Amino acid sequence: MMSGKEYTTFMDDIIVRTVTRLMVPLILLWALYVLIHGAGGPGGGFQAGCVLAAGFILYALSFGLEKTKSIMTIKWISLFSSLGVLIYAGTGLLPLFFGGKYLEYGKIPLINPIKASEYGIEAIEIGVGITVMAVMLSIFYDLSTERED
Amino acid sequence: MIETVLAKYNYVIYVTMMMIGFYGMIGKKNLIKKCIGINIFQYSLFLFFISMADINGGTAPIIIEPSQAAALGIDIMYVNPLPHVLILTAIVVCVSTTAVALSLVIRIHKEFGTIEEDKILQAWSPGVD
Amino acid sequence: MIWAIDIVLLLFIIILAIGAVLARDLLEAVVLFSAFSLLMCVIWVELNSVDVAFTEAAVGAGVSTVMMIAAIAKTVRWEEP
Repeated sequence: MMSGKEYTTFMDDIIVRTVTRLMVPLILLWALYVLIHGAGGPGGGFQAGCVLAAGFILYALSFGLEKTKSIMTIKWISLFSSLGVLIYAGTGLLPLFFGGKYLEYGKIPLINPIKASEYGIEAIEIGVGITVMAVMLSIFYDLSTERED
Repeated sequence: MIETVLAKYNYVIYVTMMMIGFYGMIGKKNLIKKCIGINIFQYSLFLFFISMADINGGTAPIIIEPSQAAALGIDIMYVNPLPHVLILTAIVVCVSTTAVALSLVIRIHKEFGTIEEDKILQAWSPGVD
Repeated sequence: MIWAIDIVLLLFIIILAIGAVLARDLLEAVVLFSAFSLLMCVIWVELNSVDVAFTEAAVGAGVSTVMMIAAIAKTVRWEEP
């Protein structure tokens, strides 16, 4: 059993804190890169969501769960996990108003039909990434929170 | 015969790994060890699928412009990307099943005070309480 | 793929899998399993499937290990003989 004493000595380590402070913005930035370049190379929505969640988990491991929960609260997580599904479904339903089928981006005016599938898949992957990030973080919170019931 | 087996060494390794995972699942009493065993079993199947997709002299399935390839004077041979996509889905399923199994393990520990299978079966008496 | 590198990596995989299944300390088993995942990621780059390797590095070596460590911190650390 991990007692409170070991946990505080590990969390007070200045090396861990400094490295985390340097690494977390880079990890989040890299996750955004993966998200944007998912259409033409390796990467995509699920991977970007996992990397985003891993950045927050790294922050939680070195600064404590309470501080992370005050930054990314449970309310924000439940909002994000449904917002991603909304983005996905909204992008899929948008061509229906212009006479297309579900997820048929070429029918949307204002954007070039040749580039349409690329932009459409990017919008969908942003939705997937947001949902995966929120769900991974909520799994981590639920597994590591001490619940009294 | 033996050359045929040795040339496909990936398949030998995948069967060995599958047996290790199977032993972890059925031979170990600890529930977290069982989770690790399930994961090793699943990874062996992933290795099988990805090995099927690979070809000699192939390259990663990221598209290169045909004009660029012609300028370099090479003909490009991609590996089959379909098993990669299947395994991508399987990895998502794998992490989800691991999360569900670990939350069940935590709940069992709260209920019985142990995560050893034989002690749980000893303490478990259905229909008595 | 280069068969010499492939065979060395696959043998390491087997050793790490046996170590992860046989270790008495559950934390040690989980860390060995994390190393197993990372080497699996290297194998997948070597088998030309970069997308799977990416997912593996993010999920297997990162999130899955953290979830197992959280489960161990809430239950017991040592496996009983």
